[in-house]
Amino acid sequence: MKTLKIALAGNPNSGKTTIFNALTGARQRVGNYAGVTVEKKEGRCQWQDWDIQVFDLPGIYSLTAYSLDEVVARDFLLEETPDVIVNVLDSTNLERNLYLTLQFMDLGIPLVGALNVADQAQRQGIEIDAGVLHQGLGIPLVKTSGAKAQGLEDLLAQAVQAFQAQARPPKIPFSAAVEAWLEPLEKTLQTLEPSRPRWLAVKLLEKDAGAWEKIAALPGAPGVKDLLNQAWASLEKTLGRDPEILISEERYGFLHGLCAQALRRRQTGPSTTQKVDAVVLNPILGLPIFFLVLWGIFQLTFTLGAFPQEWLEGFFAWSQNSLKTLIPPGLVQSLVVDGIIGGVGGVLSFVPLVVILFTFLSVLEDTGYMSRSAFLMDKFLHIFGLHGQSFLPMMLGFGCSVPAMMAARSLKSPRDRIITVLVIPFMNCGAKLPIHVLFAAVFFPENPGIMVMVIYLTGIFLAFGSAWIFRKTVLRGQDTPFVMELPPYRLPTLGKVLLHVGEKSWMYLRKAGTVILAASVLVWAATTFPQAPEGTPPDKAMETTLAGMTGKVLEPAFAPMGFDWKVAVATLTGFAAKEVVVSTLGVLYSVDGDATEENESLKQALKADPQFSPLTAFILMLFMLILAPCIAAQATIRSEIGGRWLGFFWVYSLALAWGLGVGIYQVGKLFGIGG
Amino acid sequence: MTISQVKPGQEFFVTQVLLQRELGKRLADMGFTRGARGRVVRRGLWGGPLQIQILGYDLAIRRTEAQGIQVEALVS
Repeated sequence: MKTLKIALAGNPNSGKTTIFNALTGARQRVGNYAGVTVEKKEGRCQWQDWDIQVFDLPGIYSLTAYSLDEVVARDFLLEETPDVIVNVLDSTNLERNLYLTLQFMDLGIPLVGALNVADQAQRQGIEIDAGVLHQGLGIPLVKTSGAKAQGLEDLLAQAVQAFQAQARPPKIPFSAAVEAWLEPLEKTLQTLEPSRPRWLAVKLLEKDAGAWEKIAALPGAPGVKDLLNQAWASLEKTLGRDPEILISEERYGFLHGLCAQALRRRQTGPSTTQKVDAVVLNPILGLPIFFLVLWGIFQLTFTLGAFPQEWLEGFFAWSQNSLKTLIPPGLVQSLVVDGIIGGVGGVLSFVPLVVILFTFLSVLEDTGYMSRSAFLMDKFLHIFGLHGQSFLPMMLGFGCSVPAMMAARSLKSPRDRIITVLVIPFMNCGAKLPIHVLFAAVFFPENPGIMVMVIYLTGIFLAFGSAWIFRKTVLRGQDTPFVMELPPYRLPTLGKVLLHVGEKSWMYLRKAGTVILAASVLVWAATTFPQAPEGTPPDKAMETTLAGMTGKVLEPAFAPMGFDWKVAVATLTGFAAKEVVVSTLGVLYSVDGDATEENESLKQALKADPQFSPLTAFILMLFMLILAPCIAAQATIRSEIGGRWLGFFWVYSLALAWGLGVGIYQVGKLFGIGG
Repeated sequence: MTISQVKPGQEFFVTQVLLQRELGKRLADMGFTRGARGRVVRRGLWGGPLQIQILGYDLAIRRTEAQGIQVEALVS
């Protein structure tokens, strides 16, 4: 079998990922977390007797090193040299999309263009003459539709052909004045670094720092620098322009001419996107609509999710009871019934909620509404020293902090990234949701939804407040610019949403099967051994165990918040994964309670515990919201922004959680609320 | 005049981008080159970002940055 390595590259929102999914189907590997394509996505497909490896690169506007996405894509193209670049082009926006194509052409790697969403362009009154485009650019072009899986066979055929012919894209010349400098530059470079001299020459002329680094250490570098200095001076003098801007201008000049020939625009009324924007970005309606959308998502998640959640809870209670009759009483029964099913089952019953929430977030992202929310929120975020583009990662934080922090890579400035990563844990993640839902249901039975929303809002408030504090203290400095595309609205395809949600849910399930299973067993062991002597009353039995003893040691720290050692134990186990807090409580209370009694549920046990009142329940929810996130999220903080910031975050969140917890409890007691 | 002074709905063409190197280059990459025509679609609330249409697509840009884009407004 013959093999081929293809890189899918193009602008953001060009439909790259949809083509990638259509090509590779289920045969794809996503680094660790998907959703926002910063990680390298890799998949395979077959075409005739070819085994084709496909890489989905992050969407970029240019081959500079402006954002991390661009660096990732650029490094991939330069260092892992794919056999063919398939450049996915948004047909509704060709002029800007082709700007990147011209840069790909300079690389000298065989290139095929996919004129994607051509049907959409047609509906917008844009008629594309692919023949004229092909003539002008000299690279093969194929009309495709990722959503309808059209033109993909042809695309692969062209890619294979381009590879076999080793077809180097032709050179699109700049103006004579620029070429007069590029040619000698290219010749000199060829003697130094024979691969991709054209691309290097253009980039060097553009004063690209990354390109210079590539050759700075080579022996001929000083000669190149001399030549460059002459070129810059001469071009600025004769054309009166900074060379880097000049290159962009000439490229757009060429494309403007080409598109004038190849595209025919019929006058059409306002597009659907414009009509929708007129409403959702309306100065008066915009923000209320945005908050309504957020509110609706949370309401729907909880009302829709409640049904399957009840079924699952019922199922696990039933299996616990049946297993009790099957397995004789003793350690094994206790391990299986209380440890494993009690722990993992408690977490699994929240899967429907998580799936529904992820579905909504995925739809928001795919439709293009997320970037509108950044537009609406930028002014507000800016007040707190955040960036409009911080908003999307923060929103993703409602799902899971880990992909959210990774999404923060799209932020250009390291400072913005650090702040965003540091505040994401305050966005209440899906794994913390079970804790809040449980306590809200038990202690605020009239309005559990409102209570959960209060926690979410508190988290948002803390995130902004913390960002403001960080910006004023540890992360001072200049603002970074806000320049962001508002892509046309697209209906999310069912397949893409399902794939996305499937990935996320699978991640959650895998966590339940591994980390949470292990943690549940450990927690069970820690709460069982060393066993209390025979005849100890059940409510005292726990105190002699390892967990009980550790909890007792920590109790003095928890007492000022109104908690006893059980909460201390649950907090500790929560570091493994936040869902474990619920399962730990399940284990703690089922051991505590009378094992022979019929189905004493966790909710009733919590209600019966004198340490919990609405006040302490609220403090517990708050404490769990703020306190250091799970191991996975901590590892991500470390890998994204470094161990020093992780340490900083630890101290900060611990102080904040404890300070607020103690403060609220003491003030609450003073006023005689709960306690 | 700068692009932040253009009224919503009004068309313009770019005369010069006066911004620090990196951002200037990014805007050039996004299509803000001399002579490029565009339209200010709307302005964000309370001094929020501008929505600008250029090369047939829409983009949001903060007003501080917009002040570095010199344009000439077209009479409509």
